[in-house]
Amino acid sequence: MTPNYAVRTVAIVTLGFLILPVIIVIPMSFSSASSMSFPPPGLSLRWYSSFFGSSVWVSATITSAVLALISSTLGLLLGSMASYGLCRRRIMQRGIIESNFMAPMILPTIITAVALYIAFAKIGLLGTLIGLVMAHTILLVPYVMVVMNVAFRSFDLRQEQVSWTMGASWYTTMRRVVLPQLGPNLFAAWVFAFVHSFDEVVVTSFIAGTYNTVPKQMFSELILEISPTITAVATLLIAFTVASLAGATLIMKRSVQTV
Amino acid sequence: MATVSHTQTYRRKSWGAVFFILPLLILVVIGFDIPIVTIFNYSISSADGYSLDNFYELVTTPVFAKVALNTLRITVMTTVIVAIAGYILAYWISTLPKTGRMIALALVVLPFWISVLVRTYAWIVVLGNAGIVNKTLQSLGLTAAPISFLYNDLGVTIGMANIQLPLLVLPLYAALIRVDQRHMQAAASLGASKRVIFWRVFFPQTLKAYLAGIMLVTIVSIGFYITPAILGGGRVPMMSNVIETYINTVPRWELASAIAVILLFVTLGLFAIYRRLENRTGDEL
Amino acid sequence: MHRRSFNKMVVAAAVATLAHKVTGANAAVDELRLIEGGGLNGDAIDAAYSKAFTAKTGINVVRESPNPFGKLRALVESKDSSVTLYELGTASLQQAKALGLLEKLDWEKIAPLPMFPEARDDYGMGYQYYSTLMCWRKGEKPLKTWADFFNPKDYPGKRALADDPVYALPAALLAAGVPIGKLFPLDVDLAFQKLEEIKSSVSVWWKAGAQPPQLLRDNEVQYANAYSGRVVGQEGIDFTYNQANLSIGYLTVVKGSPPESVEAAYKFLHETTDPANQLIAAKVLPYSGNSPDFEKLLTAEQLPSFPTTASNKQVQHFSDQAWWLDNAATVQTRWQEFALNR
Repeated sequence: MTPNYAVRTVAIVTLGFLILPVIIVIPMSFSSASSMSFPPPGLSLRWYSSFFGSSVWVSATITSAVLALISSTLGLLLGSMASYGLCRRRIMQRGIIESNFMAPMILPTIITAVALYIAFAKIGLLGTLIGLVMAHTILLVPYVMVVMNVAFRSFDLRQEQVSWTMGASWYTTMRRVVLPQLGPNLFAAWVFAFVHSFDEVVVTSFIAGTYNTVPKQMFSELILEISPTITAVATLLIAFTVASLAGATLIMKRSVQTV
Repeated sequence: MATVSHTQTYRRKSWGAVFFILPLLILVVIGFDIPIVTIFNYSISSADGYSLDNFYELVTTPVFAKVALNTLRITVMTTVIVAIAGYILAYWISTLPKTGRMIALALVVLPFWISVLVRTYAWIVVLGNAGIVNKTLQSLGLTAAPISFLYNDLGVTIGMANIQLPLLVLPLYAALIRVDQRHMQAAASLGASKRVIFWRVFFPQTLKAYLAGIMLVTIVSIGFYITPAILGGGRVPMMSNVIETYINTVPRWELASAIAVILLFVTLGLFAIYRRLENRTGDEL
Repeated sequence: MHRRSFNKMVVAAAVATLAHKVTGANAAVDELRLIEGGGLNGDAIDAAYSKAFTAKTGINVVRESPNPFGKLRALVESKDSSVTLYELGTASLQQAKALGLLEKLDWEKIAPLPMFPEARDDYGMGYQYYSTLMCWRKGEKPLKTWADFFNPKDYPGKRALADDPVYALPAALLAAGVPIGKLFPLDVDLAFQKLEEIKSSVSVWWKAGAQPPQLLRDNEVQYANAYSGRVVGQEGIDFTYNQANLSIGYLTVVKGSPPESVEAAYKFLHETTDPANQLIAAKVLPYSGNSPDFEKLLTAEQLPSFPTTASNKQVQHFSDQAWWLDNAATVQTRWQEFALNR
């Protein structure tokens, strides 16, 4: 069925509405003006040099990267293990356990933020790196599990069984049979987890203490000191997101072809 | 038989499910479940032991009812916009040729992965009194004075709808392309008009996925925090923002916890409906 | 990963946390933590006081922002002694005192240089004077009084007001015709009644000092109240000190701070009484320090833009600390209800 003129118009307008914020921010980051006007009166790289010249932004970027790296790796490990366990093993109360793992994705983040804020304050985890890593890992695990559940469910159990019958140890089975085939899924899950951690703002703002991440700094700037540096940060974030997702897609595709 | 016995050996000899699940379970119990229980505990505690005083205060103070209504209004407006525009967009994409589909889908997915902060912030630039929309309207002579889009319901709704759209469009698109085209061909060969084919044959087959998507948007909207905080100008408080105020400004954690507990139950209730819809969709396909 | 190594990791993490706590509590102080408002405010503290303090003591100052009142309660309630200094405003200082969240200051040990007596509180060092004044976009009809601000008919345009009863209530009462010398005790009912009248013209209730100048520049609002340091000397913005609120920003010591940290905090507070340091802070953000000698360091051109110079000080009003001590909690609650209803 070909859509009529009205449907097409509404759809295209909606698509434009969807991507408008993204295409507005990029040109503004190259603006020469210090006000937030669009279109920019002239072009310059001053907001990028202001970003890279600011110790606040640079250290926030490093904190974000380190935090996202640790959390996403830990989350990938724990999340895919749990996903494997839930898909492959018999477990009592499986539904409840799985819902428990997914809950941080479903509940409004403000609830998680407030709960962690109050609880972490009591046990001295507020403003610590350990507390931040715990929170981020818990928040990104559901995304890892969504990706890995699909992977494990579509992965043929008999392959493992064959390997086992042939006398391979569990470890060998994992290393030689399961992991090579799931590599792309693991990579995709890790990228999603990393991006998610890198973007997290609500919980981080509550529990980070003196740690400053890029989104936390952006959020406080949006409320405190609005400066066009923020458009440069936003553009860098867009570039980073697009690059990592494109990378993930590419690797997934390539490995699908080789398998 | 052989398979079964192998599976059993495999299961017995492995370290068991506990090994795989326990590490994450420990982390989630310490870092999530206990904190959630803590706010439950706060919500039912008052100066003299356990009581429902906090909930009583929420129910009897008119302003909280107003915030709840406010949250509901913004959620409904956002969901309606997303539901209408989202279906049309998903439908249009499903009719495109392959390359067109890929490009359109990529454009839908891209903002989904870009920081909510960035996307919210952009609306200040677009919708401000000196923003492009107002400048365009004025230079076209359509309006004399700038229209206030920001710092009101409209601004918050626009910002939220923008963020929620991919959440509906992506799963809905997946459902639309699975509809068997032969049904429509059959209807057409029987002489049904385009309109009838769409409403009587096509749309009913996508309804459950559509409702599931709408529920998902509702669930996420009702707990929104960032967008009303930035685009609301302190005038469009939603439940999440009030929780923040009662934690940070007023310090009445008991009351904040009580609001959080209410929001938690509302979300879980909506999610239960969503799961039911989603499972039914799954069964049919 | 083996379960054993996971256990190891948990143990290691626990040990690391404990070690951090133990060393934090016992070893010599090598860092002083301070929570303040954020933005330029923090830059001013860094440039003026932290730098001088670190040069003398070798102790690093670590800043954290912003400073919502709830965070102070979280620190005390969790017996978290990592943060020593906490910046508070007029109402929040009194609220904190009432809830017992602060350490009493030992003024002998602080040994301040000469300072204005009103800046000296048993629980807080008044380190900076700032005004909250009326301002507007250049080209709009200039305001003279709060009655003008509350009169959108004759002074058309959108408004932005501070989301804070300390500034909003006196402003509303002045608009209602209460004489500036008879503001306190505040007639809270009358103030809220007056605010109900103006609320439809207020498009933004701002929370951060940087917001009002930005909103004026973007033409989102035409009239606002703002912290003097944010609008004085800003291009395109006019202001008046008439009927403004003159307030003091306080640095306080968090209840339960270890004695070594408190000692360090006293040395830090001492630095805030030095007019030379105050001048450095004023270059970042034009607020007055607590030293009577501060003004002497200003040039004749700079004088009119600072909150405490004679001609400016006499047209403003001070907040009555004693009144706020008794009423801060109830007014805050009522303010939040108003906030949810506007």
